[in-house]
Amino acid sequence: MSAGDLGAAALRAALFLSLWGTGAAVYAAWRRDARALASARIAAGVGFGLVVVAALSMMFALATHDFSILYVAENNARETPLFYSIISLWAALEGSILLWTAILAGATAFIAFRGTVAIPRLATTALAVMFAMLTFFLLLITTPAADPFARLAVAPDNGNGPNALLQNHPLMALHPPLLYLGYVLTSVPFAYAIASLILGEGGDRWLVATRRFALISWALLGVGIVAGAWWSYAVLGWGGYWAWDPVENAAIMPWLTSTAYLHSVMVEEKRSLLRTWNLALVVATFALTILGTFLTRSGVVNSVHSFSLSAIGPILLGYLVAILILSVGLLLWRSARLRDAGPIGAPLSREAIFLFQNVLFMAATLTVLLGTLYPLVAEAISGAQLSIGGPYFDRVEIPVALALLFLMGIGPQLPWHGASRATLERQFTAPIVAATLGAVAALVTGTTALAAVLTYALGAFVVATVMQEFGRGVRARGTLHGEAGLAALSNLFRRNGRRYGGYVVHLGIVLVALAVATSQARTVDAERTLAPGDSLEIAGYTIRLDTIRPVSEPQRDSIVADLSITGNGASEHLRPALVQYPNSTAAVGSPGIGAGLRDDLYTILAAYDQRTLSWATIRTRVIPGVSWLWLGGAVIGIGAIIAALPAPRRRAVRMPVAEVAVSAK
Amino acid sequence: MLERIGARRVLLIAALGVAVLVGTVAATNLQTQAVYYLTPSEAKAQGVAVGQAIRLGGLVKMGSMSSADLRGGNDFRFVITDGSVDVQIVATGAIPGLLREGAGAVVEGAFVAEGSFHATQVIAKHDEVYTAPTAGATPAHRTAP
Repeated sequence: MSAGDLGAAALRAALFLSLWGTGAAVYAAWRRDARALASARIAAGVGFGLVVVAALSMMFALATHDFSILYVAENNARETPLFYSIISLWAALEGSILLWTAILAGATAFIAFRGTVAIPRLATTALAVMFAMLTFFLLLITTPAADPFARLAVAPDNGNGPNALLQNHPLMALHPPLLYLGYVLTSVPFAYAIASLILGEGGDRWLVATRRFALISWALLGVGIVAGAWWSYAVLGWGGYWAWDPVENAAIMPWLTSTAYLHSVMVEEKRSLLRTWNLALVVATFALTILGTFLTRSGVVNSVHSFSLSAIGPILLGYLVAILILSVGLLLWRSARLRDAGPIGAPLSREAIFLFQNVLFMAATLTVLLGTLYPLVAEAISGAQLSIGGPYFDRVEIPVALALLFLMGIGPQLPWHGASRATLERQFTAPIVAATLGAVAALVTGTTALAAVLTYALGAFVVATVMQEFGRGVRARGTLHGEAGLAALSNLFRRNGRRYGGYVVHLGIVLVALAVATSQARTVDAERTLAPGDSLEIAGYTIRLDTIRPVSEPQRDSIVADLSITGNGASEHLRPALVQYPNSTAAVGSPGIGAGLRDDLYTILAAYDQRTLSWATIRTRVIPGVSWLWLGGAVIGIGAIIAALPAPRRRAVRMPVAEVAVSAK
Repeated sequence: MLERIGARRVLLIAALGVAVLVGTVAATNLQTQAVYYLTPSEAKAQGVAVGQAIRLGGLVKMGSMSSADLRGGNDFRFVITDGSVDVQIVATGAIPGLLREGAGAVVEGAFVAEGSFHATQVIAKHDEVYTAPTAGATPAHRTAP
């Protein structure tokens, strides 16, 4: 039995188990039947194992170049290195959906074993919803539209090899799985929300149960988006990282609604407000992940990402419509039970800032959606082909982003219910001074564009408020528990991770904002055609072309330009290349990047003399601050981990007499 | 109580104001920033005005890429063709490393004169099965997988 047969059989068995599990979970939730629940659990666990077996079979088939499988023949070649063979599981549609299904099966198993222990009825209903979604995806990958194990009648001697762009950089191992994890895990809060609506629970139990899932999926999406920007920067050779491409928009939209949700959820927890709103946000986030998959996989929007067209477009659209009808129907049916506990407070209260923040996030999501779908609508109505380029998104989203940055500084400083004048003065004196200094810093470093100056000012404002919060927290622990410095700080993180981890995330967002503002405002370009020995100068760097040489590897042939970089204290060698893969008609540019905290030197081999290698055209870009973007992504990830870690259980600790005396003061 | 309701109204009006403001900005920008996608033949037939932002799609004409004789220059020249009409492109800013003679490309910018186009953005079509538009046909970007 070959790996392909094993994988195909495992998926079919998993489909059967998933169908069984759906029925068993529905019955268990309806009749509170422990035996049905036990059998649903087994179905979830074994089903997950089977899908993992299928995914591993595919990886094995790719690693062993089994070209009798269509997917392997299309996305692998004998010369493909082992690492890229294995990650080719997500190089194309069918394999990606297999990975997606495996993650969904894992989440289903997790709810089956862990969730149903804490709150049996709600979690069992949510389990049924998860099983239903899993069944859909298993049906999808066992039909010809997206069957990863489809066979070729005659196995070719060699395969096509992966898409040239996907085997040119190791970041491909990281970016898609992170995004898929983020996408798929949004289905957990969705399943609980739907379960809560089905059962007609008025309370917030679903929300408390899925808080961590929502946070983790949000963080994975965010870090996945930054990793995608990094991949685009390091591979595509255009010196940028974000182009408002439909595929990028598809990823950012659920992240925006999910960010709104993570904040408005706190209003529901503290004040029991915004109940319907939070349910709607969870549904919207999940629906946007499916919409994004539909948009990018069905070929309806024109994107620079070349994903393959397939028959799954209409199926995904049907799935999306079904989810929306079900969710909106349930929300309307149960709306009477979703009364808020009271009105929202004063305009200068924390809940009011959360409300504004939500309005802005919604505005951002809807305007991105509008810009992404407008070409489709326009073509359907008038037949004209048009595109909505970067300027639309920049002009609309940059003001919204600046307003959000402002609220990010204000919100955490305001108390619930409302603030007095004295509070305002105490909270905002230092941050306003910091904002002024930030604006001055921008102007001094030569960043003069208005949006960039505002970003610096607001960034400094936010950093000051966060520092103020940390300072107060550390001092409070000092007075209450006699802890000092780092010990106090680490205890803040451990005992109140959600709040202080959240502040760390805010710092990461500021880094990202500063990186975008700086790199957009102060990038410099230059291009020269050089003979070996010649050099060009850009922004204080001297770039000398040493040699132009061909390099042959089994899977590809390259022309490499060896560059020596001096100036600005740098002394390094960069090797931009043009890489020719056998399955690709055009050579792929592979930029040489000298990354630094101050700026990146980005070099591209644009053209070369093909006969005698006597000259090469080198395009260069000096991009200040762009590496803060990746750092910001990492800080966001760290903050999210701090926020997601469970707080240690509170124990009754017998305090020494001296400490009691201190804390009694 | 009255004060409470007043505060609520202030909030609602402010939130609505934000929504209307963003909506207006989005709608006007959508009108002005929509960039039509044309082939050189279509652009010629429609008589696109000088200065109007459009996207032009076609093939980079063989032998038309200029970088070899452009020592010291900062702009980049090539010709985009659909087989019957040629347009001279002068591009500034980043040029993708994937841009090749004979391969598909999309440029965004505006005509500076008849047959001469200033591109602010160059996009190389990097999918393998991209079929460039044939003479006089509509752009084939929909067939891009």
